[in-house]
Amino acid sequence: MNAITPNPFDYHQFVNTEEGWIDRRIFWEETIYQRELEQIFAKAWQFVAHDSMIPETNDFYTTYMGEDGVIVSRQKDGSVNVFLNSCPHRGNKICLADEGNARNFSCNYHGWGFSPGGKLLGLPNEQIVYDDGDIDLERWGPRQARVDTYKGLIFATFDEEAPSLEEFLGDFRWYLDIMLDHDEGGTEFIGGGIKSYINANWKFGIENFIGDAYHGAWTHDSGARALMGESLPVPEPAGSYQASMNGHGWEFGTDGFYDLAILGQPKILEYYEKLKPKMAERLGELRATIFGSLASVAMFPNCSFLPGVQAFRVWLPRGPRKLELRTWTIVNKNMPDEIKQAFNIACNQTFNPAGIFEMDDGDNWEGNTSINKGVVTRGEKLHYGCGMKRRIEHSELPGVIYESQYSEANQRQFYQRWADLMSARSWDDVPTRYTPRYAGKPTRPE
Amino acid sequence: MSQTLSKTSGTKKNTANHASLELINEVQQFLYREARLLDAEQFRDWLGMLTEDIHYWMPYRYQRYRRNEKDPTIYEASYFNDSLDDLDKRVRRTEMDTCRSEDPASRFAHVITNIEVELTENSDELTVYSLTSVHRNMNEDDGHVMIGHREDLLRRVNSELKIARRKIILDQNIFTNKKLNTFL
Ligand code: FES
Ligand SMILES: [Fe+2]
Repeated sequence: MNAITPNPFDYHQFVNTEEGWIDRRIFWEETIYQRELEQIFAKAWQFVAHDSMIPETNDFYTTYMGEDGVIVSRQKDGSVNVFLNSCPHRGNKICLADEGNARNFSCNYHGWGFSPGGKLLGLPNEQIVYDDGDIDLERWGPRQARVDTYKGLIFATFDEEAPSLEEFLGDFRWYLDIMLDHDEGGTEFIGGGIKSYINANWKFGIENFIGDAYHGAWTHDSGARALMGESLPVPEPAGSYQASMNGHGWEFGTDGFYDLAILGQPKILEYYEKLKPKMAERLGELRATIFGSLASVAMFPNCSFLPGVQAFRVWLPRGPRKLELRTWTIVNKNMPDEIKQAFNIACNQTFNPAGIFEMDDGDNWEGNTSINKGVVTRGEKLHYGCGMKRRIEHSELPGVIYESQYSEANQRQFYQRWADLMSARSWDDVPTRYTPRYAGKPTRPE
Repeated sequence: MSQTLSKTSGTKKNTANHASLELINEVQQFLYREARLLDAEQFRDWLGMLTEDIHYWMPYRYQRYRRNEKDPTIYEASYFNDSLDDLDKRVRRTEMDTCRSEDPASRFAHVITNIEVELTENSDELTVYSLTSVHRNMNEDDGHVMIGHREDLLRRVNSELKIARRKIILDQNIFTNKKLNTFL
């Protein structure tokens, strides 16, 4: 990986996982943000879409990898292409829609035409305008990303040197199966996702989902009481965990049902009561218990979900002080329609800009961000030292495991990974900070 | 006009469909009163203006090419897709002493315009189109404006008007604020 600009810093100076603090400048400074776009969003694998969003040939969806607009499109052979949403002529946006179906794309400026896969096909009045040798159509298509999928999720990266997706996800695949592979048909997204802005640094969203069980009972008390008639429980340290693998993290209890109950839909509970024994056959007792427990999850760098609530989201960076949130509802393909709709309604009622839980988060993250305008304020560190001594080894759980889901272990690991990537001159510089158990192995017995 | 807005309005010239000035006035006063209750966050009283079988729906507003446009359905992502019970849960949240994100309170102005009243085949029911522009100011300087195209079914229940259906089509594609802490 060639550094795009010389790397002036060791970014580990902003993140101290031994003493448990973070330098606030990483949530504010424009120069650090630009470096994130280069070192993280131009290099790491990122979630771009779910297979179910583009089921038919020539279906497309537009999104961003960092601030780079991309078109995600389904090819005739079933594969997916992801390419820059920018015309190589003068740079204009190729596609202006959120989603749709296109037999070809044409740029609105001079009309250069592109195949659904992103090949440059033709130039209007080519015979008159261009002479032989002016342009090689093969060479002048928009830049293509590397694409791979994991159990329905489509990922992409613009870095040829990046490790394989399997290696990038590592043992986190063992956990992902809990969400994506607990039923034989796999998953799909309910139609549509809601996009919204929050004036907060993108990392405040992701770190909340990766390991902030702590805020739940306080921030969301009114929502929990409105939905369930009672406050959220404060989980016992024993039997609840934070698990982290190279910046991906899952914090969870082992109560088995809390996040399923949170939506207040008896139908959903019934469906999962029936499914749980089959799930245990598929994934083992422990993983079947983890699903539906009080939990939240994030994949490095910017994708999150809530297993059981079935809220799925991506946090797109929009400058150091703004993010674009895209939210979806994820369900099992084989679920009865009635259960899918129960999730659609309940999930949207809780987790979108009008959601009963969502509404209580945004102001906090905006507060975390905007206050750093003050130079004195910005010079102060933030405390990330909760649960420093709770690291354990677990016979079944892969990754770096800390006991108690009230902990900042996953957040520290996330920022560690952030600093590792921010400082790296090549992928060889990026350490694996846990002992993989499933390298080269399937995470579910076939 | 985008297909996500109703196509039934505008061209119809059926005089039998014309509402009397008195009725139009009653509907206008009803909608203004509703707006005042929402401005004042008197959500419990607002729920009283809805029928038991209300469907309160604000689908997501996509940006699609004209050839790909389709009507929104209740089986897709929506800001609101609510029954009375669902709305009641949202209101309950605001009534809790721990609803910290609404304290200090936001300042709202619901501006209602473009009211059009149409009679329906059912003498107890009216179709009403209106435009709401909701101005929300909160914290020190956090301002936000939402424009909603509304299509209501109003029903007369024991001589009082109530809202039985409301569909709101928002102008925004990306919702440009962290929260939608009112009703439209
Ligand atoms: S900018 Fe796209 S055709 Fe000229
Ligand atoms: Fe939250």
